[in-house]
Amino acid sequence: MAHRIVGKPIGRLDGIEKVSGEARYSGDVMLPGLVWGKALRSPLPHARILRIDTSKAKALAGVLAVLTARDLPDILVGRRMFDMPLLARDRVRFIGERVAVVAALDPDIAEEALALIDVEYEDLPAVFDPVEAIKDGAPILHENPGAYDGAPSERPHPNVQSVLRFKLGDVEAGFRASDRVFEHTFRTQLDHQGYLEPHAGVVGIDEDGRVQVWASNKMPFRLKELLSQALQLPPAQIRVNLTPIGGDFGGKGSVMDLPLAYHLARATGRPVKMVMRYTEELMAGNPRHPAVITMRTGVSKDGRIVARRVKALFNSGAYAAFKPAPSVNLGGTGMGAGVYRISHLLIEAFCVYSNNIPCGHARSPGEPQMVFAGESHMDMIARELSLDPAEFRRRNLLRDGDLLANGHHLEHVRASETLEAALKASHWSEPKPGPWIGRGAAMTHRHIGVGFTNARVRLESDGTVTLLIALPDTGTGAHLVLRQVVAEVLGLPLDEVEIEIATTDDFTTDSGVGGSRVTHTGGRAAYHAAEKLKEQIQAEAAKLGEPASSLSAIAQAAAREGRTLEASHFYDAKAHGAVTSFTAQVAEVAVDPATGQVTVRHFTTAHDVGTIINPIGHQGQIEGGLIQGLGFALMEEMKTEDGQISTLSLGDFKLPTIQDIPPLTTVLLEDAVGPGPFNAKAIGEGSISAVAPAIANAVADACGVRILDLPITAEKVYFGLKDTERRS
Amino acid sequence: MTRVIRLIVNGTSHEVEIPTYRTLLDCLRYDLGLTGSKEGCGVGVCGACTVLLDGKMISSCIALAVFADGHAVTTVEGLAEDERLHPVQQAFMDAGGFQCGICTPGQVVSAKALLDAIPNPSDAQIREWMVGNLCRCTGYYKIVESIRAAAERSRA
Ligand code: FES
Ligand code: FES
Repeated sequence: MAHRIVGKPIGRLDGIEKVSGEARYSGDVMLPGLVWGKALRSPLPHARILRIDTSKAKALAGVLAVLTARDLPDILVGRRMFDMPLLARDRVRFIGERVAVVAALDPDIAEEALALIDVEYEDLPAVFDPVEAIKDGAPILHENPGAYDGAPSERPHPNVQSVLRFKLGDVEAGFRASDRVFEHTFRTQLDHQGYLEPHAGVVGIDEDGRVQVWASNKMPFRLKELLSQALQLPPAQIRVNLTPIGGDFGGKGSVMDLPLAYHLARATGRPVKMVMRYTEELMAGNPRHPAVITMRTGVSKDGRIVARRVKALFNSGAYAAFKPAPSVNLGGTGMGAGVYRISHLLIEAFCVYSNNIPCGHARSPGEPQMVFAGESHMDMIARELSLDPAEFRRRNLLRDGDLLANGHHLEHVRASETLEAALKASHWSEPKPGPWIGRGAAMTHRHIGVGFTNARVRLESDGTVTLLIALPDTGTGAHLVLRQVVAEVLGLPLDEVEIEIATTDDFTTDSGVGGSRVTHTGGRAAYHAAEKLKEQIQAEAAKLGEPASSLSAIAQAAAREGRTLEASHFYDAKAHGAVTSFTAQVAEVAVDPATGQVTVRHFTTAHDVGTIINPIGHQGQIEGGLIQGLGFALMEEMKTEDGQISTLSLGDFKLPTIQDIPPLTTVLLEDAVGPGPFNAKAIGEGSISAVAPAIANAVADACGVRILDLPITAEKVYFGLKDTERRS
Repeated sequence: MTRVIRLIVNGTSHEVEIPTYRTLLDCLRYDLGLTGSKEGCGVGVCGACTVLLDGKMISSCIALAVFADGHAVTTVEGLAEDERLHPVQQAFMDAGGFQCGICTPGQVVSAKALLDAIPNPSDAQIREWMVGNLCRCTGYYKIVESIRAAAERSRA
């Protein structure tokens, strides 16, 4: 079907505020009388708090309030499992945990006041490594985690937060039936989402007691629920006002400092702003879980996978509070099966408490970790079997009707086409251009997000249409996509569809942004609302008896009778999962034998996608995710020693710069079978996960060094080369 | 200790009394209400706070406001002329040079400084100049494209 507006490369028309500096993010919100909140954080990984003396801080000029746990109700917060105190009560469990909070006239005074708070601690034995944490006799972080609200019941060790399992067939029987069995263990690092806007929020209390919230949070309605619980207030008393978000990538879904800002606002009678410094983000944000993953795979003589067992330990840190899924685990662990048909499968993922920074969700949670392990493992097996890694994959790819461990039978599987497209575009079978150059392939696939969204469309008296939506703008360009959808349905030019950002007062619910869902859920909500409005317009035009009359005439005719033409739709996508999107990527790297330095000479990314609604935004998602994957592969690492993170600034914690981006070829295999509007699929999380294994496999191909732990630094490759030399 | 300083910001002169430890960024954002410039890293690495001081790029998060006393500061709010976006701003919109937009004020200020210095930069020059402006959303490809397009537009 040919579309007028859907599929057109429309730039970020919605971004004039962003390029002109007028966009107001949460950190930019100023209110009359606003004061600043700052938190004092624990310098110790595990300790008892013996005494807190706030008297000097309280006496400092310009300080309006100093609060400790004793001043607050004894409430635990979380996204799904509620195990985290608002402020540490009697005990701290990680370096960076908040122990006191200050409100002052300006941020500098607030920081000065923090330095005047005296805390006496008594060290407790601590545990940092997830393997150690689940041994007998390990220091216990929480005496009775099973008693926390939202805690899963299975708990093989008190330091286990949750266990997630995916199972098909009988894995032990599968291994017995295999000709050869391979096992490898991989590690991935602690990694921050890297959004450049640290968490920011403003909380004010109206005269009538209404709590007004502005926050860098991507799920306004869930935030309202969580705040209602944290503040012990009825939900109706809370209003979340949406602001643009300066990057999310999974990290902006918790209450973070907002309950503290509320209590400071109550204590001071002023609106309170709390903005984390980037150092605080790096010591106490909610970064990507580091993992230890063991993959064991049994294959037949002819290179077919018979059985696989995956065991993953995620080092979750001191609290489970930041994980939003009902499993309190990482759904991406299902990708331990890769893109392969495996009849006998057992994946077990354990989220483990330790005295480290609590981890949360990061773009495609759990997947980059699992796909690094799984796709490296595939190449290592292929080498042992003397098979071309692409050929080994070909023999095992998923096909139509295959059953995934999540219970879905797949439809419209394009694993093979996607792989072949990536191989072709990357000149896989051609000779490499020189020595110390290697190529590596990796694949993944991802479901299309589900959730629920409310949309309302209204015909204005000037004949334009307004779309009201409560999905915050995290930067993906979703608002533009939604406008395109409405304009397409109503046959309007794009600039006659405006978007209006709702608050949590305007609708009853919305699942918000995340999990590659917005084009699907928001798009379908907007689509159906627009369809309904179209019917109303047609009926109204018929009443007028002039089918060609303009939209403004129709709106005004209705207005004369006291009516507004307006339609709402609530779209709830619960049961979906049979269609996924495949990704195949090929890295071509050069390794400098003198230093171990890895240069990505070229990168190819191929995607099996649905109808593309906005090609510029779509490509932007691919490129952004891919470069995050590149950072995860090669440089990003929050280095930790005994719970102390040593990379506490963006100078030490390296994100990719504009100089790090490789030449890129993108291949899109469009197939209009998605559940989104106009058969769109999802793209936001499709490009990140396979990058690291593609590069690791290319490094192995270039120089024979197999890196089992991320990131792939020059140092690791260099010592790998030395090792090989010594052994030969 | 406070001091009164005079800043010429986007062509307008301001006198403000500030504590001597106040950064230029905080002074712009909170004393003058110009919140276009953003704080990301706060340590001079990410470029979100980039402004021009007498036409030269600086990280305003690590510059004290008192050092800018008597000088001209250009922020993102000052790039458009008579409501007309600077070609760099327009190009970032057209080519998708931003997503969340938090880095964008710094990106467009740096890109303007680039085109002032090198009106027709090569891709290598663009990358070299822009290395101090991090972006987590775009993966940079479209930033390079935007700046290339802005240079073409400025020439036309
Ligand atoms: S905030 Fe100034 S350089 Fe990052
Ligand atoms: S657009 Fe989000 S950081 Fe650059």
